[in-house]
Amino acid sequence: MRLTDVVVAGVALCGCAVAFWLTYRFATMPAAMVSGLGAEVFPRLVIGVIAFLAVLALFGIGNPPMETPAPVPPMVWMTAAVLLAFVGAVQLVGMWPSAIIFLIGLGLLWGERSLWKLTASALALCAVLYGLFVRVLGGNFPKGLIANFWS
Amino acid sequence: MDAFFAGLAAVSDPQILFLVFAGTVLGIVVGALPGISGSTTTALLLPLTITMTPNAAIAFLGSIYCAANFGGSITAILINTPGDPSASATAFDGYPLAKRGEAGRALGMSAVASAIGGIFSVIVLIVAAPLLARLAYQFGPPEYFALALFGLSMVAAVGGDSPVKNLMAAASGVLLATIGLDLTTGVERFTFGIDALSDGLGFIPVLVGLFAIAELLERAAQRGVVQEYIKLHSVKLPSLADFRKSAKAISLSSVIGTFIGVLPALGATTAALICYNETKRWSKHKEEFGKGAIEGVAGPEAANNAAVGGAMVPTLALGIPGSTTTAIILAGLMVQGVRPGPHLFNEQPTLLYVVFGSMLVANLLYLVLGLGVAKLFARIALIPEAFLWPAVFILSVVGAYAPNQSMEDVGIMLFFGVVGFLFRRYGFSPAPLIMGLVLGKMVEETLKQSLLIFDQDWLQFFTRPVVVVLFVITVVGLLAPTLVRAWRRLGRVPARNGV
Repeated sequence: MRLTDVVVAGVALCGCAVAFWLTYRFATMPAAMVSGLGAEVFPRLVIGVIAFLAVLALFGIGNPPMETPAPVPPMVWMTAAVLLAFVGAVQLVGMWPSAIIFLIGLGLLWGERSLWKLTASALALCAVLYGLFVRVLGGNFPKGLIANFWS
Repeated sequence: MDAFFAGLAAVSDPQILFLVFAGTVLGIVVGALPGISGSTTTALLLPLTITMTPNAAIAFLGSIYCAANFGGSITAILINTPGDPSASATAFDGYPLAKRGEAGRALGMSAVASAIGGIFSVIVLIVAAPLLARLAYQFGPPEYFALALFGLSMVAAVGGDSPVKNLMAAASGVLLATIGLDLTTGVERFTFGIDALSDGLGFIPVLVGLFAIAELLERAAQRGVVQEYIKLHSVKLPSLADFRKSAKAISLSSVIGTFIGVLPALGATTAALICYNETKRWSKHKEEFGKGAIEGVAGPEAANNAAVGGAMVPTLALGIPGSTTTAIILAGLMVQGVRPGPHLFNEQPTLLYVVFGSMLVANLLYLVLGLGVAKLFARIALIPEAFLWPAVFILSVVGAYAPNQSMEDVGIMLFFGVVGFLFRRYGFSPAPLIMGLVLGKMVEETLKQSLLIFDQDWLQFFTRPVVVVLFVITVVGLLAPTLVRAWRRLGRVPARNGV
């Protein structure tokens, strides 16, 4: 058994166990009202199939050998942190200011040194998206807590 | 022939024509961006179609699908990095040609071969889709259940190197499709009390997350890889000699590419790789391959574009996606309330004419654009990643948020972005998950309907000949990779013993 297969199968089997347990929390219908398969039967069938396949994966059946992946580079963690920070910033300062800050911030993190180019491109992109989604399509994007508090 | 002219008439509407033009340009532009495949492009631009009519949406998405494959060849030839996975085989000979200073010749051949392959496959689509639909009209829920299972099994059998992982991904997609209200009992399933999940998992956030966000994280892991960009002077129409040399490759690849496209789950990438090998096998100049053979550009380009029309055949006639991108287009149509299948040919023929017409026009348009302004499109490959990928993220957030005006959808998108990233790291492909998600409802509904017809007797499935045939093909398809591997291993053992 390879470590990667054990990890993959382990995660899948744990997921199956949780999903199977969740099917017991579905609301129950009176038997007289259920004709055919109940709401929980099909998900349980599918979970069973996934669990069976996970056991096959555990023993490396049907999958070619796979090397253990290299550790996730720090840049991925930093990028993921910036993405999460963006979602938090949207709640606070709204979509468009957050987008501009994000475009500049991630650009700098990814090695671009020209701040004015980043700022200009961020402003241009946000202007286009704002024009299309807000002005033309009539979308309503989060304004953020600060703007809501102000108004 | 009537459908052909009806298609052209349908796209003569100025609004549809504009959307076909916009879709073609966007398809080439985004397809040319390294790392953004046709599937990602379609997923990213899907939210724009929410406000459109189904006809306009399918014209727009169909044009993007056609053009993105061609766009991918631009970067494959100029920087040896396919903009779309389907152009990976094009790079084998396109890049050596470009390094020899013949980038214009390679791009010219790519545009012409792509257009020929694309137009051929649309003609096949016009002829084959109604025939298949007529056949499928006899199908009931049991046959559709077997057909959906067959579609999912094809993903496992041929969609990658790990059949079991592909099947796990497909089954997970089916399980995700059960989220929300059960239509027969009204019971909420896996909703965790979140109202937004009552209607099921939105296709758009999942698609955008699995493709765009996962690719963004993947790119973050590969920071610092520098690509050599080859300058393009001008794009040339293929000379008569080049055309004569490549005619066999183009015609053979158009036929094979269309056939591969028709098979559920097999898309343009498989078609291009198979046709590259076939072109080489049938060529009189095998020694030139890998060093800059013009046939090596013509074959895969004709094939990957031919697969586009082919993949639309089962998508429209049966509602079973022929490729990952058609699965996304299918999801887009389902968001619009349109469920493709044989009934579409009677109930909404205009929609089909729009598909036929828009794909034909898109193929002609990218031929003109490819020959005329490819130099401009080629500059897109120069956009630094520090500008491109943050912009893709913002576009993804706006796209995921806009349809329901919900930050929960943005959260779902980010979650599936991480899932997509982990999938790639551990050898899973996101395509089977999408197939499972799109086909999941159909699998469950048809299973329930079948069991009602059969009075809950599962064995009754085997009384239907079409179902039995489809089950047999499914089982053979599932076992084939394992059997082939075992056969090869058996073949190798005596050889080793012999040494």
